[in-house]
Amino acid sequence: MSPNSNDLIAALVDDLKPVAPLSQGAGMAQAVLALILGAAIVALGLGVRPDLLSGRLDPVFLVATGLFLVLALAAAWAALDMARPFVGVHRDGWAWTGLMAAVLPAAALGVIAADLLAGRPAPIDGDCHCLVVGLLTGLLTALVLGLRLRRGAPTSPGRAGLFAGVAAGAAGVVAVSLNCPHSSLVHIGVWHGGTVILGGLAGRLLGPRLFGW
Amino acid sequence: MVIDEATLMTLAARAQRGDRQAYAAMLSGCRAWLLRYYARKVPPDQIEDLVQETLLAVHRKLSSFDPSRPLTPWLAAIARYRFVDHLRQAYRRATETDLDDDLAADTRDDERLIARLSLDRLFEALPAAQQRAIALVKLEGLSITEAAASTGQSESLVKVNIHRGLKRLAALIESA
Repeated sequence: MSPNSNDLIAALVDDLKPVAPLSQGAGMAQAVLALILGAAIVALGLGVRPDLLSGRLDPVFLVATGLFLVLALAAAWAALDMARPFVGVHRDGWAWTGLMAAVLPAAALGVIAADLLAGRPAPIDGDCHCLVVGLLTGLLTALVLGLRLRRGAPTSPGRAGLFAGVAAGAAGVVAVSLNCPHSSLVHIGVWHGGTVILGGLAGRLLGPRLFGW
Repeated sequence: MVIDEATLMTLAARAQRGDRQAYAAMLSGCRAWLLRYYARKVPPDQIEDLVQETLLAVHRKLSSFDPSRPLTPWLAAIARYRFVDHLRQAYRRATETDLDDDLAADTRDDERLIARLSLDRLFEALPAAQQRAIALVKLEGLSITEAAASTGQSESLVKVNIHRGLKRLAALIESA
């Protein structure tokens, strides 16, 4: 062994301190807590949509919120998994969930395009409140995942950022859905779906800078 | 020193708990593995630096090792990341141009040479036409027209060869 390597190894050994292995389960628990906290903040601060209070649940609300919830969990799991590098692991489960959730914005765009082609005004509302509140609430999940990724060693920081951003956006959408009074496919597809897309884009752009090591 | 996988896992788990003796043995085992890994990828004079950079990364990111999994795939992922980063930095430095500063130019020449040596190892896996097109346009700075005249390939073939060659290089780096 070269003298340099001997010196380096001796210095590293001297510097060793006990470290807790990054636990996937603990990270996931923190991400779920962040999501619940965000939902609680929205519910307490902005109120809960009327049909939830009355117990008459809208099927579109249930399906859409369920899809975003599953997407948030799948993307968070994938992001946390990336904090622990391992050659030979394929993390594509989140992508299938993402494709499933992408049906909502795709359907919304289809409805808008059909109306425009038929000469009718686009049925889109300008209520971007959900997008703004969703992104802000999603910051809680982004913070949890970001801290875990910075502690870990993601070997594709851009992709890790994308996963974290999608998870944060979807978690924000789940929270804001409790308050959002709209149940139209177009509103959910454009503003809720847009929140996830913007979150993913932001994560993809910031990932290399934040999670490179 | 070659240490078997089960022993490496045990040593790493003990190192995470603060056992210095186990950590020293683990790092020595990692170093031996890294020397073999980088010997296939970079010129001999760069191996030791890369090994030491990777050992530092192992030290900083020790908590990212999952003690329920084997250590070598974790070490390989870290080594690959450092290798790709090393190539990226060498290539970035090699493509910087500042003709006004003679001293800087001398340094760049050395760095360009190092980058070329690393790339040459990867180039060996490409067909000759792709190697030539990438070398002329991407490394020596010729235009597509000049490269076409120099190689006797059509301009569109030069573009295709660059595109295919770079795609193949990216795949080689990813799978390294």
